[in-house]
Amino acid sequence: MKPVYFLFLLLGVTLSASAQSTLTGRVMDQKGRALPGANVFLQGTYDGANTDSTGNFRFTSAKDTATLLVSYIGYEPFSKKISIGQSTPFTIRLTETANELNTVVITAGSFEASDEKRMTMLKPMDIVTTAGANADITAAMNLLPGTQRVGEQTGLFVRGGSGEEAKVVIDGMIVQNPYFSSMPDLQSRGRFQPFMFKGTSFSTGGYSAQYGQALSSVLLLNTTDKTQNEGLGVSINLANAALSYDHATENSSISATGYYGNLKPLFSLVRQNMDWTHVPEFAGSSLTYRLQPSKTGMLKFYGMYSNSRLGMNFIDPSNETGKTAFNQRNGNFFTTSTYTDSWAGGRWSLNSGLSYSYDTDATTFDVYDFGRSSERLQGRAVLTRLLPANNSLLLGTEASRVTYRNAVAGTQYALHDNYGAVFVESQTYLGRNLAVQLGLRGEYSSVISRFNLAPRISMAYKTGTFSQVSLAYGQFYQTPDYRYLYHNTSLNYERADHLILNYQIIKNKRTFRVETFYKNYAQLVREFTGQPHDANPYRFPIGRTDNSGNGYAQGFDIFWRDQKTIKGLDYWVTYSYVDSKRLFQQFAVAATPTFISNHNISLIGKRYFEKISTNMGLTYTISSGRPYYNPTNENFLADRTPMVNNLSFSASHITRIKKNLVVLYTSVDNILNTHNVFTYRYTPDRNGGPGQTRYAVGPQSYRSFFVGGMIMLSKKAKVNVNDL
Amino acid sequence: MKTILILAITALVATSPVWAQPIQTGSTSAGSIQTGSIQTGSDQYKQAMSQAISTMQSRSEKSPVSDILASANQFERIANAEPKEWLPRYYASLSYVYLGFMGKDETEKDKYLDQADKNLKAAEAIAPDNDELAVLKAYIAQSRMVVDPMNRWQQYGPLFQAGLEKAKSLNANNPRIYVLEGSSLMYTPEQFGGGPGNACPVLKQATEKFSTFKPANDLAPMWGQKQIEPLLAKCK
Repeated sequence: MKPVYFLFLLLGVTLSASAQSTLTGRVMDQKGRALPGANVFLQGTYDGANTDSTGNFRFTSAKDTATLLVSYIGYEPFSKKISIGQSTPFTIRLTETANELNTVVITAGSFEASDEKRMTMLKPMDIVTTAGANADITAAMNLLPGTQRVGEQTGLFVRGGSGEEAKVVIDGMIVQNPYFSSMPDLQSRGRFQPFMFKGTSFSTGGYSAQYGQALSSVLLLNTTDKTQNEGLGVSINLANAALSYDHATENSSISATGYYGNLKPLFSLVRQNMDWTHVPEFAGSSLTYRLQPSKTGMLKFYGMYSNSRLGMNFIDPSNETGKTAFNQRNGNFFTTSTYTDSWAGGRWSLNSGLSYSYDTDATTFDVYDFGRSSERLQGRAVLTRLLPANNSLLLGTEASRVTYRNAVAGTQYALHDNYGAVFVESQTYLGRNLAVQLGLRGEYSSVISRFNLAPRISMAYKTGTFSQVSLAYGQFYQTPDYRYLYHNTSLNYERADHLILNYQIIKNKRTFRVETFYKNYAQLVREFTGQPHDANPYRFPIGRTDNSGNGYAQGFDIFWRDQKTIKGLDYWVTYSYVDSKRLFQQFAVAATPTFISNHNISLIGKRYFEKISTNMGLTYTISSGRPYYNPTNENFLADRTPMVNNLSFSASHITRIKKNLVVLYTSVDNILNTHNVFTYRYTPDRNGGPGQTRYAVGPQSYRSFFVGGMIMLSKKAKVNVNDL
Repeated sequence: MKTILILAITALVATSPVWAQPIQTGSTSAGSIQTGSIQTGSDQYKQAMSQAISTMQSRSEKSPVSDILASANQFERIANAEPKEWLPRYYASLSYVYLGFMGKDETEKDKYLDQADKNLKAAEAIAPDNDELAVLKAYIAQSRMVVDPMNRWQQYGPLFQAGLEKAKSLNANNPRIYVLEGSSLMYTPEQFGGGPGNACPVLKQATEKFSTFKPANDLAPMWGQKQIEPLLAKCK
């Protein structure tokens, strides 16, 4: 009893001495654990204290009534009106604030690289510092789980989908021609520089109702809000020479680039497997302007124009000489402008945009005109309302007018499609551990005069501090390929349904993610030619078509990244498995399409060597064989190409020459000089001929290397990471 | 903008928390604070601030996290009582910057720096266009970058630079601008434009500025001079 008596005495003395009351209490979390170091005080006064190591506090105040405030990092602030005369100690329980660590995030099907979000598996830098990607966004995505590498074709092949089933979207706007014009049996690069973008989100399925017209995947790219350079930069490498200029003011910035490229220097050093008649030559320019008219508003304008020319004799078994001359001149114009703003403290936000693109290929096969062009005008507006507790509701619309023109050996075809879509999506948190996203998208396409309505649902549940499971289901529609529509506009949308289950754990700079999926394809376009299968990849559909096709793709993929175990080394491993069959195009029976490889593995490592200020990376990829059409085998698409593998290296070194910043870089592709085969083709069965002969289609070159450098001439120059 | 790169590289190299400058807010003795030449604020305010500042000065980077946190809390309480004064918010934010260097992992560091940002915003609302707040903004950006330099320099490098430039435009004589600039250059390898050769002129500039710098009052920020002393020793 002694201490209590003593305490009372002391209390009495203080009270009588200054007419002050003492407040005592304890601050805890919801589980009753003490929170030491919490700040406890009375609003508008100096009266207050910190909690001690047991979560207890004690302080005095001369006030009778006041508002008691309690704050603690990572917890919601607490406030309560109190009358101070009361002698019972306060018990205060604080609630943890929602943050990226303790709140679930819907992740099924998506792979993000962002600087703004902390919990992502990739950073934008990864796209440029990965060997084998050659600073090409698509090539970097092809190293992620869920993709199949198809060496001789352009585009992203995601979970059993063809290249046409993936769309590239910049700031919400679909890009009509995201890649340089395709050449026979050669993969083309993406047109956009990786460091134009502050965030990249690659969906391998089950994506949001905000996007449509892609049966398998969307690659979402968000442009940066400001320039990172200042002044003039000059860049020279084996393929091109470029000038860039950047300037920023308080609330606006401008970037301009111009380049001329010619592959002659490279081709004279690296042996080509192709018979070039006009070595690829290209020139282009771009202009970016960003303006911040208000604290919350942001206006961006981006425009680019490029021109290219090339010629080759490509291997063509259907031609008696075995080769066909191919010539192409491409002109591409793309512009997009977006305006984003928010009101009411961010509760309302608007994303809007307008884009226009025109792309034309003057193409000839032999003496025949196979020219094509496409034009796209698109507008989009999305309004988002943030609701309490992280919930949100989104409403949006988009419209586009697309025109296609094709010449097929002199015959002209043209097509206009007016397309409109509305979409709504809600995100609901049922506590911190469970989130549900519901979306609905309605579309209309004028060329086929049809509507569709596509529901999407995804949810995620947090299974531990660092782990969670996600589930996604969605219906996806895509207007059939325009080449079919030239002959038949009564076709319906092609459809895919995705079901995805994902588990991930991110802890201590290590990430493990496994995802399994089932995709059902329906209403695929089939073509009936009444002829034997024609494996010519450049053929133009001529047969009767309908939507009686179908198919499936199923499999799983695994991602492991570790930046911790070996100091300084960052490595990741991906494995993707897909099993798929389809009845579509000219297929008479269901079979695995030629763009499917069942197994894809990539091993990526990178390290920064401080002493020599050099960043080095190695990438090894393996893709199992793909089906190819063998006319001498009575089983359709039963043959497989050999496995394809590639080991590549890249390094970049930063230095200064006369106070100007200089970046030097080099890369070696296919170090082992493997003679990879992408597919085989057969000569036609000619009467009196030598029978059907098999041709191999492989890469443009085997082992190859690339060197280049750039210098920033401005005194205030900084390295352009594009070229690292 | 070269500094951006420099910082990035520096940060990569920085294995020890060289960025965590000694937590000493005053350049000389704490005693001077007691002499009341403050123009604004009540006596209670002055007294509370003097006491809180001298407590903060008694801390160092070796102090336990709870002590620094207690200081931050103390300043936040004063800020709560004096909603028109920016200095309590300033010191609260500065305490969280120090905590940002001390956090045990990335998440914890960011948590403290979020709190530094909050207090900075509150201070800016009270005193817009204040050079000390611009310096603090740069300091926070630098701390953010150091948390994960390889991936963050692109985002926070320009913010660091912008903070320093804004501070220069408001008051080019603020020595703390050159403290931050010079110390970051010092830890940057020479081939990237850092090293003693490039850092020393800036650090000497800081010393010169300190010799003529007159704080607005006894509660005004005065840190920086001690921090660069060990760096200046390398300048011989």
